[in-house]
Amino acid sequence: MEKEIAKYLLKKLIEKGSDDVVISYVSSEAKQIKFVNNEIVKTGTEYLRSLNVFASLKKRLISTTLKDITKKSADNLVDNILNFSKNIRAKDDYYGIAKGPFKYKKIEDLYEKNYDDIDMVDLTVKGINASLENAKRASGILEGSNAKIYLTTSNNVELEYEGTHLYFSIRAFYDKESSGHKTVSGRTLKKFNVEKAGLEAGKVAKDAKNPIEGKPGRYDVILDPLASAPLFDAIGNSSSIFNVETGTSFFGNRLNKKVADSGFTMYDDPTYPDGLNSIPFDSEGYPTIKNTVIKNGVFKTYLHNTSTAKKYNTKNTGNAGLIAPEPTNILIDKGRKTREELIKNVKNGLYITNVWYTRFTNYATGDFSTIPRDGIFLIKKGNIEGSIKNIRISENMLNILNNLKEKANDIQQIRSWEAEIPVIIPSILVKNMRITGPVL
Amino acid sequence: MHKDFADFSIKYLGKIGASYAEARLEEESSNAFMLKNNISEISGFGESSGLGIRYILNKNLGFISINNFDKDKIKSIIDKSVSLTRNSSKIGEKTELSKDSLYKKKYEAGQKIKIADLKPEEKINLLKDLDKDVMSTNVKIPSRYFSLSDVINNKYFINSEGKEITSIIPRINLFYFLTIGSGKKVVQRYWQYGAVSGYEAFKKWNINEVLKNEVKNLDLAAKKGKKISGGRMDVVAGPEISGIAVHEACGHPYEADRILGREGAQAGESFVNCDSIGNKIGSEAVSVIDDPTIKDGFGYYLYDDEGVKAREKYLMKNGVINEFLHDRQTAAKMNLKSNGSCRTPSYNLEPIIRMSNTYIKSGNYKEEELIEGVKEGIYIKSFTEWNIDDKRWNQKYVGSEAYLIKNGKIAYPLIRPIIEITTPALYGSIDAIGKNFELHSASCGKSEPMAAVPVGMGGPTIRIRSIIVK
Repeated sequence: MEKEIAKYLLKKLIEKGSDDVVISYVSSEAKQIKFVNNEIVKTGTEYLRSLNVFASLKKRLISTTLKDITKKSADNLVDNILNFSKNIRAKDDYYGIAKGPFKYKKIEDLYEKNYDDIDMVDLTVKGINASLENAKRASGILEGSNAKIYLTTSNNVELEYEGTHLYFSIRAFYDKESSGHKTVSGRTLKKFNVEKAGLEAGKVAKDAKNPIEGKPGRYDVILDPLASAPLFDAIGNSSSIFNVETGTSFFGNRLNKKVADSGFTMYDDPTYPDGLNSIPFDSEGYPTIKNTVIKNGVFKTYLHNTSTAKKYNTKNTGNAGLIAPEPTNILIDKGRKTREELIKNVKNGLYITNVWYTRFTNYATGDFSTIPRDGIFLIKKGNIEGSIKNIRISENMLNILNNLKEKANDIQQIRSWEAEIPVIIPSILVKNMRITGPVL
Repeated sequence: MHKDFADFSIKYLGKIGASYAEARLEEESSNAFMLKNNISEISGFGESSGLGIRYILNKNLGFISINNFDKDKIKSIIDKSVSLTRNSSKIGEKTELSKDSLYKKKYEAGQKIKIADLKPEEKINLLKDLDKDVMSTNVKIPSRYFSLSDVINNKYFINSEGKEITSIIPRINLFYFLTIGSGKKVVQRYWQYGAVSGYEAFKKWNINEVLKNEVKNLDLAAKKGKKISGGRMDVVAGPEISGIAVHEACGHPYEADRILGREGAQAGESFVNCDSIGNKIGSEAVSVIDDPTIKDGFGYYLYDDEGVKAREKYLMKNGVINEFLHDRQTAAKMNLKSNGSCRTPSYNLEPIIRMSNTYIKSGNYKEEELIEGVKEGIYIKSFTEWNIDDKRWNQKYVGSEAYLIKNGKIAYPLIRPIIEITTPALYGSIDAIGKNFELHSASCGKSEPMAAVPVGMGGPTIRIRSIIVK
C-alpha cells in the first residue's frame, strides 16, 4: 500500500506543477543489546517507517514527510506543499535532479539472509567472554537492522532495495584507568567476528594498565583504525562541495593541488562489498561509483550531486544527498607491512588505539584537536614501553595528510560515535605529530 | 493524539507479565530553514508521531519504539521485544526503580509570538536580515551559513503505576557559522541560540546586534590580534566559557549513570565515585546548579521522561560535591529518590540521565571589577574549539574573542589563547564570580545510538587565578 501512496503522491505533485520530485519510503526493523559491566542492561526493538518527499517548485525546494500513510493524508500534504512553496524563496543555484532510467550494478554482501535468526544474546556473551580473557569487565552494544527502501522520482527512476547492518562495539576495562575499545561492523555475518573484537579490546585494556602522565612534544604516531576514523570522517565531509560553500572544508580552492603525501590515495566508495553505506544508487536514484578523491597526494574531485555538478560544470560523482552531496564509505587501501612492523621502525612515538571529541578551531585551515582514549602506548626504539594518559592531539588536518607516511595491512571498517561516515582503513603512521596536555 | 495505543501497550505488557511498563507518545510539528551565502536553501516542514515503550520483565529492561499505529503491529513488536528480553535474562542486570509519587499533570510552555502564526517567508526573512546586518559591517565574510528551526512537541506519558503527564513544549533553534576575514587571517565563529519559547526569543537574544559586534571584533582580532607568549596568569572568562566548563566538567561527571558505568562503552565513565558526595573539588566561590524549571531555558521541563517532578539541584555547593543527577534506576541503586533528570530527545531513544539548564550561581562582582582585579592576564568572551576526555578530567578551551588584560584594563585582542587544564585545577582556581548571567543553549550528546538533547548552559563571568595559558 505504501508504494501505491508514494506513486500517487509523485503523480499529484507532478500534476500540480512540481519541476522535480523524489519520494522515498523507508521501513526498518532494528534490534539492540546494551551491556554494562558484563551484564545486559537493556534490549531494544524498533520498527519505524517514513515516507519522505523532496519537491522543487520553480526552484523552491521543499523537504517533508507524510505522517499517516493514507491517500487522504497524501492529498492534504500536496496542498500543504503548494501553500508552503508560495511562502519560501527560490534556491537560485539549483539545477535539478538526475534523469533516468539508469542501470545499476549489483554490490556484493549487503544483505544477511539469516538476519532474523541471529542470536543477539549469544553473540553478546561470546564478545564479552572473549574480552574477559584479559580484562575484568566490558561494556558495549550489539545492533542489527534490516531496512527496505522504495525510491521513485519524477525523472524515470523507480527502485527497490533491501539491506542489513550489523554493529558490535565493546570497551573492556582492566581497572578504572586502563581500557581498550574495539568495534566490528558490516552488512553480513561473513566477517562479523565479535570474539576477535572482544579479545583485542581485552588485550589493549590489560596492556594499558598503570598509565603514567604523557609528555607534550612531537611524536611519530601509529593510529589504529578506530583512532583515525574520526579524522577521516572529517576529511570525507570536507570533500563535499557543500562544505566548501559553507566554509567547513579545508579542501577549499585546493582542486588539483597537493593536499597529502604523494604516496596517499583516498576513495569515496559506495560500491565496497560489505560497506555500511554501500548502495547501488544515491538519493536521486543516480548510479553510485567509486570516486578517487585524493590521488597520489593530489585532491582530484569534490563530491557532487546533479545540481552542484551542473553549477560547477563538472561531472556528477553520485553523492546526492538532496540537501547536500555526502560522502558514503571513505576507503584507504591497505599497505604491505603488519602494524607490528610499523611499530618496529618508530624511534620515538606513540601507538594510539582510539580518540574522541574531535573539534575544530578553524575548518577552513584544518586546525583541530582530539583526545586519545583507551590504550595509549609509548614506543621507544621500536618497542612498546608502557602506557600513558591525559594527552591530546593538537594538529592540522593537512599536516596529518602530508605526514601520513605508511599504512599497515590490517584494514578494517569502522563506524563509531565520531565516525558516522564509515571509514575503511588500516593502521597508519603519521610522522611528527603534535601532542599536548594539561599543565597542573 | 493516538493515546489509546499508549494505553493499549501498557495493558498488553501487563497481561504478558511485565512488572512495570511505561509509554511515551509523541507528536511533533516542525519547520526548518537554511540560508547559505544569502541563498535560500531547501526548506522543510513536517509532522511526525511515534511511541516509545519501556518495561521490566523478570527484572530485565526492554525498550521498544514504533511509529506504525496499528494494534496488531504494536502487539507483534512487543512480542518480539519480550522474546529478546526473556532471552537476555541469563546475563541480565536486575533492574529496580526508585519509588516516586503518583500524579496526573498537564503543562504547556507558553509562546508570545506563536510559531504557527509566523509564515515561512517571515522566518526566512529573519535569516535574510541577519545576513544583511552582518554584511553591513563591511567586514569580509566570505562564507555565511544560518539555519533556523522550530518544533512543537506534544507528549503523553503514562505508566503502569498510574502516572500520567501531558506536556506541550515549543522550541526554536538558531545556528550560524561565519568565516571572517581573508587570506591567512581567517577566523571562524559558530554558535547556537535556542529557547523553549515562541519567536519572541529572537528579539530577546538581540541577535542582529550581537552578531554585528562579533564580526567586527573578530575581524579586528584577526587583523591586529597578537599571539600570547604564554605562561601562568589570571583569566577572566565570560558566561559562554563558564557555561561550557560547568556542562563538561561538572554536569557530565555528576551523572549517576556514568558514575555507575552504564555509559562506559561510549560516552564514558567519571572521575567521580559513588562516595564522592561531600568531597571538596573547587573553591568556596563556586556553586553549580542544574535547573530544568527555568522558563525559557533550552533544557526546560517540569516532569522528566519517567514522569518524575523536576527540581533545582545544587551539583556543587561552595566547592563541595553536593548531588548527582539521577533517574529512577540510579536512585534505586544508591537508595535515593530520583531528582527528575531522565530525558530522551525522541520517542525512539531510551530515556537516560541528562542535564537540563546547568550554570554557575552568580556572585557579587561586576564584570569590570573582575577585570580590574587582574594585573596581567586575559579576558575570554567567547570560545571556539574545546574538548574533554571521557572521565571529564583533561579539558581544553580555545578563546575566540579574547583580550590581554594589563593592570586591570583591556589592552589588545589576542589570537586564540588556549587553556588546557584538569577539572580540580580549574574549579580550585576560581576566586570570584560575577553578578551577570547568560544562559546559552546547546545540543548535548550521550548514549548509543547517539541521543542529542537540548540543554541550557551558562552562568556569570568568572575569574580564574594563576593558571597556564598557551
